[in-house]
Amino acid sequence: MDAFNNFLQGSVTLFSDPINILIFLGGVIGGMLFGAIPGVSMLTLAAILLPFTAHLSAEQGIMLFSVMYCTGVYGGAITAILFNIPGAPENAPTAFDGYPMTKNGQAGKAVGAAVMCSALGGVVSTIIMMAATAPIADWAISAFGPPEIFALVFFGLAVAASVGAKTFWKGWLSILIGLMIAVVGLDPVGGIERYDFDMPYLLAGIHFIPTILGFFAVSEIFVQAEKKVRGSYTAPKLSVDFPSLSELLAHKFAVIRSIVIGFFCGILPGIGATLAAFMGYNEAVRWSKTPEEFGKGKLEGVISSETANNAATGAAMIPLLALGLPGGALTAMMVGVFQMHDMQPGPLVFLTSADLVWVVFAAMFYANCSILLIGFLETKTIINLLRIPFQFLAPLILLLATVGAYAVRGLTIDIVVMFLAGVVGFFLRRSGYSIAGIVLGLILGKIGEQTFAQAMQMLHFEWSGFFDRPIAFGLLIAGFLTLCGSIYGAFFKKTSAPSSTGSDSPPAPPPPGGG
Amino acid sequence: MGRLRPGHLVEAGFWLGLCLFLYVYSFEFDKNIEIYKFGASGWPRAIILLIAIAAIGQLIHHYVKGDESSSQIISAAVDDGSEEAAHEAHHETVKWYLSTFALLAIPFIYMRVPEWIAGTAEPGDAGLHTARLIVAAILIAIVVYFIRHHRVRVALMFPLFFAALLEDFGFYTLAPFFIVGVMYLFGERRTKPMLLIMALIFGFMLTMFVKILYVGLPVGNIEPFYSIGSWVVTVLQ
Repeated sequence: MDAFNNFLQGSVTLFSDPINILIFLGGVIGGMLFGAIPGVSMLTLAAILLPFTAHLSAEQGIMLFSVMYCTGVYGGAITAILFNIPGAPENAPTAFDGYPMTKNGQAGKAVGAAVMCSALGGVVSTIIMMAATAPIADWAISAFGPPEIFALVFFGLAVAASVGAKTFWKGWLSILIGLMIAVVGLDPVGGIERYDFDMPYLLAGIHFIPTILGFFAVSEIFVQAEKKVRGSYTAPKLSVDFPSLSELLAHKFAVIRSIVIGFFCGILPGIGATLAAFMGYNEAVRWSKTPEEFGKGKLEGVISSETANNAATGAAMIPLLALGLPGGALTAMMVGVFQMHDMQPGPLVFLTSADLVWVVFAAMFYANCSILLIGFLETKTIINLLRIPFQFLAPLILLLATVGAYAVRGLTIDIVVMFLAGVVGFFLRRSGYSIAGIVLGLILGKIGEQTFAQAMQMLHFEWSGFFDRPIAFGLLIAGFLTLCGSIYGAFFKKTSAPSSTGSDSPPAPPPPGGG
Repeated sequence: MGRLRPGHLVEAGFWLGLCLFLYVYSFEFDKNIEIYKFGASGWPRAIILLIAIAAIGQLIHHYVKGDESSSQIISAAVDDGSEEAAHEAHHETVKWYLSTFALLAIPFIYMRVPEWIAGTAEPGDAGLHTARLIVAAILIAIVVYFIRHHRVRVALMFPLFFAALLEDFGFYTLAPFFIVGVMYLFGERRTKPMLLIMALIFGFMLTMFVKILYVGLPVGNIEPFYSIGSWVVTVLQ
């Protein structure tokens, strides 16, 4: 009952302030648009907006990001279904059956199913998040000290490394690059300068905002520059046609299964919505009595993928708000928003800023509901906006990123760092490394080193001290098992062919972007 | 050689070389901390060791399995088309990489060479300003020469070059050229749409950030660019 009252209070706070409403609507439409426009994603928009959240209150900043997260995950489904161009990686499996449905003249039904299932997956996930986060945070206050947080960071990085890149080793290298970038600057215990190369700029460390802008927004533009050789798309005519209740009921098990898959993928650090969508789709194929129909325009394919990816969004907020640990790129940026307001996400947020938490929860709930409304009313408008040629969008994105990087500290060197990160990100992405892994390593690196130092001091530098703390020990074991499983998989399991040469079933994803 | 390609060896060599460099540099801050027995270098050295292990593991993976990915689902989930785009555009040759890195040196040449020529790094020095103007003019001519035939390479370097020039020439002078340059690099050739979009984007940036949000963007150091930038800010604010 308390949760419900808090939710109502959050709703009142959200809708009683016109600025909050404006930010909410901006987040809903911005997330949906950037999710839908091929070549950019909600992460691009989030990276661009990150520096400017300093002008907002902490609750407005976090709310904006969480709303963009919900609608951005849905937005990419429109282009995936209509043009076979997923707006974001998490919508790639939607295209497997969504695009064939368009070719079969069922585009309206596919978009309608995506709208309904995204909203459903998101709403259920948000309700569970609202019920579960506060108790987990309460428990975490007493149960989580530095050894547990360090162990959780280790476990999160082990999972992220295992799933974030083309190979296990590249996943680890991505995480380790992020950890190494986080080392630059003063060490957290003695304040000794590390890797500053006698440059005053590096004394405070490499700022995460130019780095994030470079890795996400700028590298994406560079990748698109290379893809320009592929030509463009044209927007087809469309009407949104919701699946009937009987059609939806016929797929109730697929919806429930995908919500469960999406939720667990979201709550585990480092997995996120992309893998949730692929696993949701994969399980739909595996459980189906007619797996051969997948890839040819089966509604269940769209339903499974879109329910799973949106179900991951609410779950991803639980480790961030309850434990202070981001599980993916967007939640890592939310840590940045907290830090810009001199706050640390974690269990204490519930005590010190309960208003913030419940406004964010309410905003996420309404954002998922608004997918239904905007998806029905505004899909045609969004499709028209997608006609903006990328060559006109690219300079705007680059200039917004430039202003964003400069506005943080008023240093042009931050702009150089951002574009340099963009170039590095471009080369790493085309070699199969994970940009999200680097950013996760960068954000968790500082937390990891600090908590490791505190834990070792607490345990009098006795490693065996971890054995006496069951949660820390369990998480370390889980991390090691993940690591060992990945190493075993990397060397001994039969693997797929390189993506550029295609793969067998399920069908390989179409290339995202290209417009 | 198993399924190794020269690129795999270069990749492993890069990571191991980086590890060596970072390890050697870690002696610069290898100081004891009384309350912390691992010192300031313990954590970074552990990361360096793990990077070296991962680089060797990656090399062994390439030797045994070539370019195969670890898992079919993960491979599909992380594929953003960038590898394929590079492959299709034939941007994977050693020659392509070398010429790209050569072009990427241009912004750094601008950041270092004028100071060597002028023999000073004092910001207000007239000789340094002249050197910067001359070097910038030469480098811009080089960029214009390459822009027609090496679009992707120039696209990588162009924003960095813009960032390098910002301190001296200012946002207000450079941004219109930058907008047109990016549109050109993305294949736009029609003059009227380019000018219209340039005016729209530049106008939006000025209105949004200078007039409404009062963001102080770089005005430049060199005349007459400094005066132009200051004039724009005065008019708008």
